[in-house]
Amino acid sequence: MSEELASEELLARVAQHNVAALSELYDRYAPRVYGLVAHILPSRDAAEEILQQVFVRLWSESPSLSQEGRSVVAWLVLTAREAAVDRLRALRKNAPNAGAPGPRAKTEKTQDTGMRKSKAAALVSSAAESLDGKTEAIKPRPAEGARAPAMDSVPPAWLPRPKEITLIDARLVLLHKAINQLPKPQRQALELTVFGGLRESEIAAEMGEPLGKVRSSLRAAVTFVKHRRRAVSGTWAANI
Amino acid sequence: MGCQHLEELYELWLLGALSEQGAPDLRDHLGRGCPHCLERIREAAETVYLLGLAPKPARPHPRVKSELLRQISRQAASNR
Repeated sequence: MSEELASEELLARVAQHNVAALSELYDRYAPRVYGLVAHILPSRDAAEEILQQVFVRLWSESPSLSQEGRSVVAWLVLTAREAAVDRLRALRKNAPNAGAPGPRAKTEKTQDTGMRKSKAAALVSSAAESLDGKTEAIKPRPAEGARAPAMDSVPPAWLPRPKEITLIDARLVLLHKAINQLPKPQRQALELTVFGGLRESEIAAEMGEPLGKVRSSLRAAVTFVKHRRRAVSGTWAANI
Repeated sequence: MGCQHLEELYELWLLGALSEQGAPDLRDHLGRGCPHCLERIREAAETVYLLGLAPKPARPHPRVKSELLRQISRQAASNR
């Protein structure tokens, strides 16, 4: 299949049950999606399972996604993250004594220009690693109800259009440099929610900080990233 | 519904970061088609997408693709 085809054109073909188009989308985006879910989950098996589930879900939801004209890669990344943190929460629930599992590879730098692992993320990583060693033992079985029976996906109407995602993709290195400018406590709190799936109250407990402080840090971090994204995407005239 | 008070919450809500108590019920609200909030949630999705790309891309084992295509082909055949 031609490399020239836009992802949304491929998606339209997937919606018409074209397996080759799905295969092409997989080749294009699986490394991104797998990089994310492998970063979130404590075992390779779990990450591969989520990766497969997300693409199966894409197959079944392609008609509505295609009809809305929304970005397929945004759908993939958001749905994969949600599925991976749901799995992480289920693992945590099943193994409460294992601590708060978080990103797997604590010593691994993220994108060259992306967020580095924070101390807090490394803290949860060590819990994740101890969990990782027991993956087989704690791997949830359907009978135990730990595996989400139906994966939630992000409604297409909530997604950006392809052109907005193209703008982000074109300036990804610069955007991750900007995110790296976040003050450390804010970055830690943000990483714990983006990759650790923790809610603000859980982050407060994990970091040993008052809830109000964590709440403020998270809001400030998100506002910072949003403003940098707007600036870099050219929707805001601002210097970074 | 005045939605301005939600301005700083869209991203955190989408990330599932808000404590369950006190979190706005945005899903229902969005389901009713509030244009202001739909526009903001799409923008929030751009931010979440950007954050989700921070980890390095990684190559999954080829077995995953083979299993995926086998599963999809089975589904496609049964739908014919």
